[in-house]
Amino acid sequence: MATRAFADLAKSNASKRGMPHIRAAFTPHPVWGKTAEQLRAYIDGNDPVSGKPLMKEIIDGLTVPLTAEDTKTGMMDVSVGPPVYGPDTLDNLQKHFLNNGMTDFLPVIIPTQEKVDAMLKGTSHKPDEVVGKMAAGAFAPWTYTVRQVAVNAVMAGCEPEYFPIVLAIASTGMAALGSSTTSFAYSMVINGPIRDQLNMNYGIGAMGPFAQPNATIGRAWTLLGKNLGNGGIAGDTYMGSQGNNTNYNNIVIAENEKESPWTPFHVQKGFKPEENVVSLFAGEDIRQGHGARGAGVLENPMFDDQISDMFRTLTSQFNALVICDPLTVKRLVEQGYDTKEKLMDWLWQNTKRTAKEYRDSAFVYTFHKPLAQRGIEPYATWYNCPEDTLIPWWPKPDDIALVVTGGQTNPFFQVGNLNYRVSVSIDKWM
Amino acid sequence: MNRRKLLSLLGMSPALLAGSRAEAQKTRTGKSAAPEEPKYQALNPKGTPPPVKLVPMAPRLDTIHGKTVYLVDTGFMGGGTLLQQMQAWFNQNMPDVTVVFRKKAGPYMEDDPPLWKEIKEKGNAAIMAIGH
Amino acid sequence: MITKAFKDLAILNAAKRGMPHERICFTPHPVWGKTPDELRVYVDGPDPVSGKPLMKEIVDALTVPLSDDEKKSGIVSVSVGPPTFTDTADNLQEFYLNNGYTDFLPIILPTQEKVDAMLKGTGHKPDEVVGKMAAGAYPAWSYTVRQVAASAVMAGCRPEYFPIVLAIASSGVASLFSSTNSFAFAMIINGPIRDKLEFNYGIGALGPFAQPNATIGRAWTLMSKNLGNGGIPGDTYLGSLGNNLNYNNVVIAENEDASPWPPFHVQRGFKKEENVVSLFRGLGVVPGQVARGSSANENVQFDYQMSDLFSTFTGFFGALIIADPLVAIRLKEQGYDTKEKLIAWLYKNTTQTVKDYKSRNYAYLFEYPQALQGREPFATWYKLPDDAVIPHFPRPESFNIVVTGGQTNAYPQAGNLSYGVSVSIDKWM
Repeated sequence: MATRAFADLAKSNASKRGMPHIRAAFTPHPVWGKTAEQLRAYIDGNDPVSGKPLMKEIIDGLTVPLTAEDTKTGMMDVSVGPPVYGPDTLDNLQKHFLNNGMTDFLPVIIPTQEKVDAMLKGTSHKPDEVVGKMAAGAFAPWTYTVRQVAVNAVMAGCEPEYFPIVLAIASTGMAALGSSTTSFAYSMVINGPIRDQLNMNYGIGAMGPFAQPNATIGRAWTLLGKNLGNGGIAGDTYMGSQGNNTNYNNIVIAENEKESPWTPFHVQKGFKPEENVVSLFAGEDIRQGHGARGAGVLENPMFDDQISDMFRTLTSQFNALVICDPLTVKRLVEQGYDTKEKLMDWLWQNTKRTAKEYRDSAFVYTFHKPLAQRGIEPYATWYNCPEDTLIPWWPKPDDIALVVTGGQTNPFFQVGNLNYRVSVSIDKWM
Repeated sequence: MNRRKLLSLLGMSPALLAGSRAEAQKTRTGKSAAPEEPKYQALNPKGTPPPVKLVPMAPRLDTIHGKTVYLVDTGFMGGGTLLQQMQAWFNQNMPDVTVVFRKKAGPYMEDDPPLWKEIKEKGNAAIMAIGH
Repeated sequence: MITKAFKDLAILNAAKRGMPHERICFTPHPVWGKTPDELRVYVDGPDPVSGKPLMKEIVDALTVPLSDDEKKSGIVSVSVGPPTFTDTADNLQEFYLNNGYTDFLPIILPTQEKVDAMLKGTGHKPDEVVGKMAAGAYPAWSYTVRQVAASAVMAGCRPEYFPIVLAIASSGVASLFSSTNSFAFAMIINGPIRDKLEFNYGIGALGPFAQPNATIGRAWTLMSKNLGNGGIPGDTYLGSLGNNLNYNNVVIAENEDASPWPPFHVQRGFKKEENVVSLFRGLGVVPGQVARGSSANENVQFDYQMSDLFSTFTGFFGALIIADPLVAIRLKEQGYDTKEKLIAWLYKNTTQTVKDYKSRNYAYLFEYPQALQGREPFATWYKLPDDAVIPHFPRPESFNIVVTGGQTNAYPQAGNLSYGVSVSIDKWM
């Protein structure tokens, strides 16, 4: 039984998992926020999809004998269409890709054999090598080869030199279009000499449309999610109620290692400085630090206080990714934070709320309370301590990630409510 | 980029005008086309910039000594404090220069004609601090 | 005198305004956040660009006689290059990218054929001047219907979308602004055109799920680059960190059918059947469900939730509430039967102390000078004691509400965005 908003998803997902004839019943939507009386009316009423009385439908579902279709076994064929389209005009091919849900609705470079072959030269890995598998949520994952990743990299507008980064991302199996009704945002941090080899932008406009690698590698991640992870099908594998504008290109951050006195992110994760690494994040959003208290007026801006202030409207469902302009970092170093860890510690210690506020939050109720009930720390303590106890926003200082990028026109920062997920070697895919 | 190169942007090279940062993005030379590869003609997407009316510079002072110099704080953070330090410098090093410190009215992007009028009437020169 | 971070900007901007030989001196960067002693060191030290002692350079600048170049007057025309480019498709893609005509992503090449097809999307003549645009305090560039068509083609727009792109172009508002602050831009589309063109206002409304949403948003940025001369780092774009939202801008087609309230354009005085695009500028968009008060209880109080979310918004920009229809319906059930009622509540109940107000960004830069000039409410606010409680936003007009989304969950998003202007799309058909 599911609410009607998920009728397509329910049937589609059951089908993918081998149960095309699963017996399903649907209620009106939503159930959240409804009173007991309103929900009783749902029970007493009709399935809005079939029109039949709900309870009769449920009882029938449990008692009416199975048909021959219901008891079938064997393999079901899932086709994604022919391996090649055309020959046709460029215009018709653009239309074809767009109309078949293979793009982000923006122009693509048509992935001709010639272009894909050129892209394949960007790696030593064989075209038919399996790179990984991906699902945009709790779905059966799809698998893909180097060649299939290349097709998407071409479409996105990547140069062959960018291909190892796209492969590294593909190898994680992480899709940049999550299925959740929450419209997730995704981010990547690039470290290592490759940033300069590829002319990635980590100066003015670092997170905006100012350089080809930043733009196209970010976009490729979304196309991978659509075409290789079967993500982004509205109502089926994508349920984000309002969507997220950052999904077009995702938030691509090349760390400004040169201008940062701090340890680069990948080194914090155990890689050597000369290694090329991409680190992936997922979560809610990214927001600017201009709204923080203390963000503007003083001759002596205290960035630690400001960042902590920004944390107060983040959900603890996801961690923090703080993105500082090098000028901001230099200022923080002057204030005594000569390492990222010192600042992470301070922020973790000094951003607190009462246990009551914590417990009141919807996400905490849905995701942490079950952990608390199983005795998992720190959630168990946070759920059982007195209401007015001050507790930190996240379990540990390491939940606060710090990266440095930007063009030093002003000491600004942004804060993402994002979880660090994984770091992978780009070098491995060269 | 030095000033001479920057100034060549004025009406000289279209490529430079279109993307003065083009050098930051390494230019790959286009592949030479195979003879049978079709060629297309595409439109220049740029709009029309206004022509530039040259403004001659104001005549210089014969000497700064004995003159009145206005220091104008435009309202960017830190600029006022910088100018106050400059005023101290003048007082110590060139005491015969009369320094008048003024904050421009309104936020930094607003014009302040009464101040410019005053400077024209009472001052000989002005130094404006812009940027943080 | 300017800090060295803005060297290129200073020289280029002076040149554009007719003073290619303006005498400019540079200090180290930044001055903000430096103590008086540190700034005295700047004064005593060298200009980091020329290497010369700063004060000597300043005195020389005021006293050394003008050169012949500096005395010149007259008009200098500014060239943007030849009207067309001819090459293979691949080479043209690369050329357009390297010349700064794109957002670094693949474009549809604006061939004569494609541009002609786009021009059929409007009754206006190709050489008609649509408007002028500058991405900040620069001399504005002007552009014709044909020049707008080129950007619309490049973005991937269909000819049916062209009236919307023209309407945006006619506003003269650029979606790439010069500021160091990395601004974000949004548009709301209202009217029957949403359904005609199949805008997405359901699941994934703000994301990459429909061609009009994606390409019209993108066209705005391409126009800002090509027609408004925006987005040149160091010259017309100084955003220190940049903003991901600039790629496609936040395109919101209002879900007028599912909304319990009148649509946005009707509140602006248009008729329901008119097609209108409304433009916004600010810092960005954040989800609302994460704020305190996003209650674990059955009884989600969206009004409190939004009010809390705004605590890290700067009151310099307004608040644009982007409510899923389920949220709007819920709010109506709670008694907000009009958008105005909700706005009145939010204005009154989203508060801050004077101390906090003064410490937020933009208050000192933009509002304190206005307070000195007697402008309200800032003049009053700056006179109050630190612990006095004032509204977070200067006026109820700071708030706007739009409804969009696929009703899979009762989530709102909110933009720290100010309303700018509404333009008739019908006028450009």
